[in-house]
Formats: sequence, structure tokens, C-alpha cells
Amino acid sequence: MILRRTLLLVLLLPSLAAAQTSPEDQARGLLEDGRTYRKEGKLKQALDNFQTIVSGFPNTSFVDDALLEIGRYYLEVDHDAAKARDAFEQVTKRFPQSDGAPGAYYYLGRLTMERAAAATDIDDALAQFARVQRLYPRSEWVPRALYATALAHRKSGRLAEAAEAARRVALEHPSSDAAPAAQFELAQDLALSGDFRQAMEEFQQVRNRYPESEWSPLALDRITALYRLYGAGKPTFALDPSYSVGAGDTLKDVRGILMMPSRTLWVASDKVKSAIPFAPDGKMGPGLAGEDLQSMSLAPNGDLLVTAARAVRLGPRNLQTFAIPGSKPGETEPLEKLGAAAVTPSGSVLVSDEKKKKVFRFDGKLQYQAPFPDAKERQISRIVLDGEGGIVMLDRDEKTVRVLDEAGRVLRTIAAHGPGYDLRKPVDVAVDGFRNTYVADEESGVLVFSPQGQLLATLGGADVRKARAVTVDPSGGVLVYDEKLQRILRFK
Amino acid sequence: MTVTRPRWSLLALALALAAPLARGQEAAAPSGALSEAVQKELAAVQDLIARATAEFEGPQQSRSIVQFDEIVTRLEVLHRQGTLPPRGREILSTAYEMRARAYYNIGLQEKAADSFRSLIQLNPQYAVSKERVSPKVVDYFNSVKKALVGYLAVSSSPAGARVSLNGEFLSLTDFFPLEVLAGEYTVEIAREGYRTETRTISIAAKATETLQVDLTRTLASAFVVTEPAGVEVWLDGQLKATTSGTPGPDLVEMVRAKGLDPARASGRTELGNLSLGSHNLEFRRKCYETVKRQIEVPEARDYETEGIKLQDSVASLQLRSEPPGARIFLDGEAMGITPKDLDAVCSGRHHVEVKHTSGKFVQDIVVSKDESVTLDCPIRPSLAYLGVIAESAAGERFIPDVEEKLIENLQQKVTALNFVPAPRDTVDRVLESEKLTRKALLAGSGVDPDIVRKVTIRLAEALEVQGFLLALLPGEKLQRTAVLNLLAAGNTVPDTSDVTFGESASYMRFLAEVDRKATLYRPWTGLITVDTSMYEGVPVLRVVAGSPAAQAGLQPAEVLTAVDGKGVKQTSDLLAAVEAKKAKDKLGLSFKGAGGAARTVDVTLADTPQEIPLNDPSLLYNKVMIDLLAQIQGYPGTETAAFARLNLAICAMHFGDFAAAHEHLLKARAELPARPGLSQGTALYYLGLALERLGYKKEAVDAYRAAAGFKDATLFNNDGPSVAPLAARRGGN
Repeated sequence: MILRRTLLLVLLLPSLAAAQTSPEDQARGLLEDGRTYRKEGKLKQALDNFQTIVSGFPNTSFVDDALLEIGRYYLEVDHDAAKARDAFEQVTKRFPQSDGAPGAYYYLGRLTMERAAAATDIDDALAQFARVQRLYPRSEWVPRALYATALAHRKSGRLAEAAEAARRVALEHPSSDAAPAAQFELAQDLALSGDFRQAMEEFQQVRNRYPESEWSPLALDRITALYRLYGAGKPTFALDPSYSVGAGDTLKDVRGILMMPSRTLWVASDKVKSAIPFAPDGKMGPGLAGEDLQSMSLAPNGDLLVTAARAVRLGPRNLQTFAIPGSKPGETEPLEKLGAAAVTPSGSVLVSDEKKKKVFRFDGKLQYQAPFPDAKERQISRIVLDGEGGIVMLDRDEKTVRVLDEAGRVLRTIAAHGPGYDLRKPVDVAVDGFRNTYVADEESGVLVFSPQGQLLATLGGADVRKARAVTVDPSGGVLVYDEKLQRILRFK
Repeated sequence: MTVTRPRWSLLALALALAAPLARGQEAAAPSGALSEAVQKELAAVQDLIARATAEFEGPQQSRSIVQFDEIVTRLEVLHRQGTLPPRGREILSTAYEMRARAYYNIGLQEKAADSFRSLIQLNPQYAVSKERVSPKVVDYFNSVKKALVGYLAVSSSPAGARVSLNGEFLSLTDFFPLEVLAGEYTVEIAREGYRTETRTISIAAKATETLQVDLTRTLASAFVVTEPAGVEVWLDGQLKATTSGTPGPDLVEMVRAKGLDPARASGRTELGNLSLGSHNLEFRRKCYETVKRQIEVPEARDYETEGIKLQDSVASLQLRSEPPGARIFLDGEAMGITPKDLDAVCSGRHHVEVKHTSGKFVQDIVVSKDESVTLDCPIRPSLAYLGVIAESAAGERFIPDVEEKLIENLQQKVTALNFVPAPRDTVDRVLESEKLTRKALLAGSGVDPDIVRKVTIRLAEALEVQGFLLALLPGEKLQRTAVLNLLAAGNTVPDTSDVTFGESASYMRFLAEVDRKATLYRPWTGLITVDTSMYEGVPVLRVVAGSPAAQAGLQPAEVLTAVDGKGVKQTSDLLAAVEAKKAKDKLGLSFKGAGGAARTVDVTLADTPQEIPLNDPSLLYNKVMIDLLAQIQGYPGTETAAFARLNLAICAMHFGDFAAAHEHLLKARAELPARPGLSQGTALYYLGLALERLGYKKEAVDAYRAAAGFKDATLFNNDGPSVAPLAARRGGN
């Protein structure tokens, strides 16, 4: 019997051996399947595959790729920066000559950049991106690293350097997958630098060279916005007589309007005690309820902030009240006359309290930090972001608009009076993608200011009776809520 | 051996019987090369005759008799065998004569007579020389002869017939009486085209027989005269004759009467031996139209044909090449330089080759009579195929098979380049001069790039090509793959492409890439428009200075609404309309002005040069470089060459060869214009980049600063971003 079994085994062994594939082939198969899962959105399964490669096939040539994918998962899905960093660092330390190494440096740079709190963080990120270009000059990661370099420079306010890095992608790697974004970035940097004509040309290049990319329609909006203001010599705004959104009570007692990048228009009506979304086709969506609505703003992550007198809705499900330390230790004092709120690029929350006449800063965990920018009393009725790290605050009493950085330094100011204008009753403020500021004034209509504070245009006249709220759409069209007309007007 | 004297009658009979045998034997005697034995024998006999003759002329003449006996004996053997050659016959005749004379001189007249008889039997027309021989001997000879020979005269109508006696050729008619041995003969009189006549005669000694024969014609003849001469006459598909000469004075009128020009006509040419019936005639001459005729030959006689006049069959050929100045070869003959008009090109098929330093054009054409053909000869660069090398010794045995498959799949299928198998010895010679092998041309060879660059330039000059293709068999176990290495002259890094060499489909990608021509120029207006959602149409943002749009007076802020009557919604509509045209075409642009006023303006398009992208994965950069080299060689000293050099520099930078890029840019900078658009400033900017990468920081800054001085210089193309601010930044301004 034993002999028979032995004989059987001996006969079977060769065919068993032939049926087994090599570890290298198995690892390759797991990697390919994992990437397929990722494309299909089966992220957990993808992660399992990649982790199996690392633990089960440590001597194959696919470990670096697997680690890179693991890092991407933690970065993009779990948002776990520590785990992501660990995975990427394993690649750079253990497999510095591998195909995955430049990608790892790239992601490390991105991690550093996205969490940058200080200029040195940005410099660290830039060093990682530079490493990709220097050590792996023919790698497919070079254009991505260059693009990320542009973003990092922009984040630091170094627009010329940002434009140069973005230009290099467009010049040297026009067929790379980073090229459309880089071309868009180049145009944006030029616009922010004040070179509007060149910016329009470069936005047009996005459309000419990459018409099918996601950046092409965005470029159209940007060009329209720029051309409206700077294209034909004089800014051109004309009332769109066909525009109509909302009806009935939704247009009564409107405290704020906000146009999202998706072109959904939110209308905060205290009459219906809701912030109501209107889709681009005019269809009304489910609203967010709120008592005593005051204003709305947009967080850096795209969430809508709706400020009511006692609470702020941070996103669709997160209703937050705020309190500051009281006069006695251990005591807290609720803020009950909120006027405006905003989330800064670093994740802090700023809320203005009209009773206290201050703006208070809370950290990402909503722990109270300090008054912002200082303890001086101000009646801040609006806080919005300018998209470039600037925090725009409308001081109702002083009738000024100030733009500050996260540290509270004043970057620019629109004074109450200036050549060609008087702010008499400013009630709302909006900022477009180029840091042009739109101030709704009950008496004057809507005043448009350049980033330098120069008046570009005044919208109103006979068209606007009493401007109460203002927002700007992605193509630079201006929407104004007229309290007297109880209508939202659009100037295109 | 002594010859006895047979009886006359018996002798005659013997001769009559022996003659056919002899003739048969003689007829059997090889007319060509003699056998070795016969040659040896003849050589020996020649030696003997010389000694015998010397003995004959000596004091003891009679001693020569024995020697002559031997000669006669030996040659008679050959005679009987039928292998006696004409020279042997002469010697035998001489031996007989001299033996006879020797006998005569010692008083043995009978023996002398026997010898003379043998001589006459051998050669009835033999005559003893009166100058050399004593009259007595001559008389004696003649008396012997008289008793043996008779005379035969034959004439025929027409003359010129071959007369044979008992199968042995005698002479052509008409001839005076010839001496023949007395006897009975069958006389055959034959002439081509006539029926052979046979007669039987008996010739008695001393008697003369005469034959007069009228020959009966069996075949016809036709006589042709052509204009011009030198015409091939084909009869029933076979070349029969070629007319030549000129008509004699007696034929001039006849020729004229035939409608031909005597000054150009040929002489009268006979087409003999025509069988009776119908025949097809074709008259052919290069550069003339073939004339066909049918001739009826019912009788065996001469026929005069009508005059045959051939008409010119020529065409004209106008050859143009791009670039011009190429050498023309028509059927291998040099015909000048393009552009060239060639008149009087013979109709028919021709092989046209047009060669230029930048490449060549090859085509077979067929032209018809009176056709005027214009042949555009776009010069294509040439690619030298350097063969196959194997990475491992094991791969070497596959080389012949791979060679065959590669040529089969590439030679006739590459259309943008001339695929030229390179002569092995030329390639070896050039490579060996730098102690290199073909492997040095492959990627990662480790050879100094400067040496590779130098060798490729020399090889290109030697082979008159612009690039090279070398296939490598990698060291894999199952040999199925070949790696094609495409390398431009002057470059150091090839582009590689894997093919499964036995599968035609696997070559498709490589062929598509090689046949793709990089866009170096495109039509251009200089009108910069932007898309907005504010207008029906696209507003003009900028008009490039000096451009066609500027020349047409177009201004910013106007809104373009239509191109050639077709509505424009976005800038890509305008770009597509321009792309569909070429330089010098007109484009009708409709605008709406600020006040709403509409106008249409015609803009004449120009060309803008285009930069090759620095990194485009879809481009075969070596192929691009080959095309660029062809432009530089084809249009030296022109702007086209200058822009080609700029792009060559960019290609070199793609490969990281900044030294080569630097060289190209220095030349480009000197040759490029200084006007708006791609210009000297562009070259200076890239020169700065190259110097920076080479580590020459100070020189790089100088180049950037110089570039910044060209305010209107651009990158990419004439519409592209301005060089000045970029260069100023890099130059530290």
C-alpha cells in the first residue's frame, strides 16, 4: 500500500511542479489584479492584493510597486498620512533604483505639501520633487513632479516660479498625463500675477491642445471670466434678462447666495428657514434647515458652510455650535450671534460673533484658539476665502474689505472710499478665481475690485435696487440678490 | 610502303566506289577540334616532312624517298579513317609530289607516275608549280594527270548554287571547267530557296562535261525599304533582318515612288526564303511606332513591299524635384539636373532615378507617344539597412532566416524612406577605421558617443544615406524576436522597436511610425482668439505682429463669427479651417465689431515653422532627425534648413545629447531670422538650456540674456509663448 502511494506520488509530482507558477509570475498577477480592482473601485480588495505581495512575495521585483500602491491607498482613500508616508519611505529606502522609487518621492513630496503649515514644509516638498527630476530624469514621474513643484510654489506665493515649473511640463512633456493640469496651472499663475492677456492665451492652449481633458471646460470658464474683465478694454457686464431661479418664499428674506463650482446655486432664505440648492437647470434640491440664517461660505474641501445665529453647519451633517472661554476659569461662553464662518486652508474654523464683535479661531478639532487676527473689536459680517490662502473679511462698520493670511497679516485692503467709489452699505462680498473682489452694497449695487483694490466696474444702476447678497459663477458672471425686487439677478 | 599501279579501269571503279567512302569518312571527319592522337600524328608528320624536304633538297635526294614513304603511309591511314585534316591533306599532297619528283630524278619514272597518280586521286585539281619544278617533271605530271582527269563545268540559273559531286562539295555555280577524276558522278546542284537538282554524269579522262541547270524556285523573297534605316524586321515573331545603309543611286527614284525620303531611307533589304502563304511583318525601332503589315506570298518569286515609314513615338517628360538641383538618371543615363524638361523621350517603360545629397526618388514610368508627363520627384531620405547581429553565439544560426524575413517585411513596405541594403564591405571598412563593430551603434554599447557620432556621419557620407537600421537578435532561448535599431546619422542613441520577425503584423507599428512625417510647418494666420461663453463666435485677443492677420488689418476685440461662410463657435473651428488649407490659400473671415457692424476680410495664409516636442512618446525621434537632415541637406542656407537645425537640436536634447544640441544651436542661431516668431531668440534660449545642462552656467546666463533681448521671439511656433520673459527669468533679470 505504502509502495503504491509512494509510486502514485512520484508519478504525480512532475505534473504538480509544472502546474505551479513562479513567485515572480504570481506577484505580477496579484499586482495587475490589484490595479484592476482599484480602477473598478474595489479598493479594499486592491489593498489586500498589494499587501499580499509585500508579505507573501518579498523577494520578487514587484514589492516596490505594491508598496507604492499601498501608500496611494492610505493617502487617497484612508487619508492616513502616517501610513502613507511609511509605505513610500519603504520604497525609497529599500528600492532606490526601482521604477517605483520616483513615484514614492513624488508622493512624499505631495504629502508634505498638502500638510504644509510653514514655508520650510513647502521647501521640503520641493526637495522631494527635485529629487525625482535629478535622479530619474527619464521617468514618467518627472512631469508629475514638475507639476507638483508648480503647485508648491503657488502655495508659497511664488507665482513666477510656479509658472516656470508649469511651463516646463507644457514645453518638455506635452504628451504626459500631467500636461493638461500643468497648462491650466500655468495660465492660473499668470492670471494671479496680473498677466491677464497671457493667462487667457494659456487657458486657451488648454482647450486647443487638450480639448477632451477635464481642464478644458474649466479653462473656458476662466477665459470668460478674464475676458469679461480684461479682454475688451473695459469690463463688460450685462443683465441677463432670461435668468430666473427660485420662486415664492425661497426668494424672500434671503441672507446669502453662494455659487458652487458645480454651478449649483445655494440660496439661504430665512423666510423658509433653509438653505436651498438650485441645480444649473433651475431644479430645486433638498435644503438644509437653519434658524436665523446669516451667511454661507465654501470650505477648501468643497463643503458648504451655512452660518446661522447660533450654529454653523459644516457640511451636510455636521451642525456645530461654538463657545469661547468665559470670564472664569473652566467656564465657557456660547457664541450666539454668529454672523459668518469659514474654514481656512489649514483646517481652522473662523467664526465671527456680532455680539462680541470679534472673529474667533478654532482648530480642526474645533478647540478654541484665539481671536483672529487680534482682539480688536470689529463687526465682521462676512468671511470668505479667496482660493489662494487669503481670508477675506467684510467689516460692516468700517465699510472695508480686508484680506489676511492665516497668520493674520493683512495682505490687501479695499477701503471705504477710493477713486470712483464709495462703500456706503456693504452687505456681502465674493471673490472670483483671480482674487477679484465683488462687494454688494445696498446703495451702490455691486462693485468689482481688482486684486490691487482698483475699481474695475460697478454693476447696478437701474437694474439693482437693493443689493443684499452677491456671488460669482465659475465663468465670472455675477449673481445679485435684490431685496426689493426679491429676485436673483445675473450679470454676464 | 610502295604503291602498285592498278589498271585504269579497275582504278576508276575503285575510285568510284572508294570516293563515297572517303567522302563519308571525310564528312565524318570532325570539322572542329582534332583529336589528340591526330594532332600528335600531324605534329610528328610535320616534323618528318621538314626533314624529308631538307633531304630532298640535299645532295642525296633519293634518301628522302624513304621518308616520304613513311609520311604517305601514316597519312594514308588517317585518310582511310576519314580523320585527315586539311593540313594533313596538304602534307600528303606535298609528300606525293616530292616522292614522285625524287623517283623521277633517279629515273624511276613508273614509280614517279604511281606517286603522281596517288596525288591526283587525292586532289584532282593539283598543279605542280612550273616555277619550282623542272619542265620535264611538270610535263610528266601533266601527262599522268591527263590520263586520269576530265573536266566538269556547271552553270545554273540563278547562279550561286552549291555543286557537290557524290556528296562532296566542288564549287559554286557558275564555274569554268574544273578538273575532276574521270568516273561516274552524281552531281547535286543546290541553292536555298530552290529545288535541289541532281544529275548523273560520266566524265572520261581528258573529256569535258558541261551541265546547265535551271533551278526551280521554291521560296519567295520580299524586299523592304524603311524610313528611317536601322529598323528591325520581324517575320512571324522572329527577327529576320535589320534594314541598313542608304538607297543606291539606282534606287532613289524607286524609294521616292514608295513615298519615302531617300535621304533617310534604308537600302533595299531582302527577306529571303519566305515560305508560300501569309506572313506577319512587324517593323520595330526604339522611339518609333511599330508598323505591322501582312504579306501574301502565293508564288515563289521576289516581292517588292511598299515603303515602310515609321512615325516618331516620343513623349516629353518634365521632371521636378523637391528639393531641386537633383541629378536625373533615365535608364541609367545621366540627363541633367532638376527641374528639367526632356523632349524626345522614347515611349515605353523607363526607370527614373533622381538623386540628391538629401536622398533620392526612384520610380518606373511608362510614357505613351506624344504624351507630356510631369513627374514630381519628392526626394526621400535613404535608410541603410546594415543587417542583423546576434547577441549570443547561439543566435548566429538564425541570422540568415531573420535577414530574409526582415527584408521581405521592410523593403517594399517602408514608403517614407528609401530602404537601401548597405554594401557589407563599405560598412566594414568605415567601422574598422575606428576599430568598431556594428554593435557600437546599438543602445548601451558603451562606446564614446563622440566616436559613434563621427562614425555615423562618415558612414552616411559613404553610403549616401541619412540613417541606418540594424537588427539585433537578443539572447533569448526561443528565437522569435528581433530588435530593430533605427539611428539617424550624427546621433548616438537609436530608437528601438521589437518585432516578431516571422510575423508580418508585428511590423505594422514600426512601419506606421517610420512612415509618419513630423509636422514641421503648418498653415498660419497669426490670429489669436479665445473661447468665451459671452459671444456667438470667438473674440480676437491678439494679432501677431507681421502675420497674415496683421497684414489684413485685423484688430483685437473683433468677434470672429464665421470662416469661409461656416459658423465659428469656438477657436478649434478656426484652427480646423486653417489646418485644412495650406500657405498662400485664402481664408474668408467674418467679424462682428464692437458696434455690431459685420465685415468679411480675406486673409492669405502663411506657414509657421513648428518645434518638435521635446518629449513625445509617439515620435520616433531618429526618424524625425533623418527627415530634418534631409531638409538641411536639401535646402542649404535657407530658412527651412535653419528651422530644421533648430529642431535637430531639440531632438538631440531629447536624447540628452546636449553637446550635439549645442553645435546645432550655434549654427541655427546664425541662420535663423531675427523677426517675430521662431527666430534667433528661440535658438539662444535653447542654447542657454543646453549650456546649463552641460554645466557652463556663465555662458548659459549670457545666452539667456541675449535671448531676452529678442522681444518678439517665441517658442513652439510663431504664435507661441514669448521667449523674453522666460529667458529674462533664467538669465537672472
